[in-house]
Amino acid sequence: MNHDQPGGTPLLSEFADDPEMVELVELFVAEMPMKVTSLRKAFDEHSLTDLTRLAHQLKGAAAGYGFPTIGEVASELEGAAKATEDVNRLRTQVDELVELCNRASMAA
Amino acid sequence: MTASAPDKSTILLIDDSIDMHRLLSVRLRGDHLEIIGADNGLDGIGMARTRSPDLILLDVDMPEMDGFEVLQTLRDDAATHEIPVIFLAGMTTTEDKVRAFEMGAMDFVSKPPDFAELKARVRSALRISFLMKMLAQKARLDGLTGLGNRAYIDERLNEEFAQSTRHNRSLSLIMSDLDNFKSVNDTYGHPHGDAVLIKFASLLAEGCREGDIACRYGGEEFAVILPETERDDAAEVAERVRASLEAVEWLVHPERRITASFGVASLSCVEAPSIERLVAAADSALYAAKRKGRNRVILAKPEGRRFSLSA
Repeated sequence: MNHDQPGGTPLLSEFADDPEMVELVELFVAEMPMKVTSLRKAFDEHSLTDLTRLAHQLKGAAAGYGFPTIGEVASELEGAAKATEDVNRLRTQVDELVELCNRASMAA
Repeated sequence: MTASAPDKSTILLIDDSIDMHRLLSVRLRGDHLEIIGADNGLDGIGMARTRSPDLILLDVDMPEMDGFEVLQTLRDDAATHEIPVIFLAGMTTTEDKVRAFEMGAMDFVSKPPDFAELKARVRSALRISFLMKMLAQKARLDGLTGLGNRAYIDERLNEEFAQSTRHNRSLSLIMSDLDNFKSVNDTYGHPHGDAVLIKFASLLAEGCREGDIACRYGGEEFAVILPETERDDAAEVAERVRASLEAVEWLVHPERRITASFGVASLSCVEAPSIERLVAAADSALYAAKRKGRNRVILAKPEGRRFSLSA
């Protein structure tokens, strides 16, 4: 099963109808594949530092673009990356975050 | 020296997250706010110095220099220590918040921020900061004449004295006192006395050159600080004001001419220069002007070396 392919129900930004935010949300969504790639790479390279940094960035930013659930899951991953070296647990968290990121969308 | 509401406020965001810069510039757009940004502490401090923003939004959690270090540096620098700072922080303890407030942060907003709340807090911080500036100015302003007051003179004398000693430049002071002012008040009433004070203040301000600082020392006594000015040039300013006051045709009670006496001193007149000695020298010149018949300008004589007789 390939987690990196967009799929599932689109996750809509809370600000999808906010004219001043449209451009920014589009930009954020457009950058998602790049973020997913970085997350996967950090996990594959077992870099807890990179995982923590990427999760931290997403945690701080996602809610601002109208994706609070991505922010919450990113926060959990950041916590996990700081607290554990348990590969299985980290994999679950990364998978969950990637799945959400792939569903992030500007419109239904 | 007047405080007016700013028509546009500049907000400096210091944050290593590109997303914060993007989101903030959209969310705080309009409303007469200009957003400038730095993505690290050092650049942020540099921008705070060169751009003098009205407010700084400061991320706590940054690599290399964190928000606390940045705030400390801003507070230690006279150029930036009065700029209000709102801290932006993710996971924070009460201890962090207390520390931030103790270091002089004006407010604390959790990350990720609710932008509507952040905007409201930005407005509130700008309002408080504006009122504080206005109060600070008013506390240094004489209510009747609009000139600087005694507190302002002391502050500026300290600054100008430090400047002149540092750069080895001259500094002069004019002390002035309206002649027989008590009798003006007693004879014509306080409203006329106030009108005289206001008129004299404006003549004093008009007689000054750019860079001179005219103040009301208290009562009917006024002072002018003249940076980078030798005594004789300061005397010209005093003489100009003296002549202009004497020439005033008063609409009310024109029968009474109003005059003032002036004492002029400069740092080169005093041994072991200090602010106290400069003021004392100008003061004694002023009293000499009174003794010699008022309505004149008297210059302080350079002090020779003296010896004291021990008791």
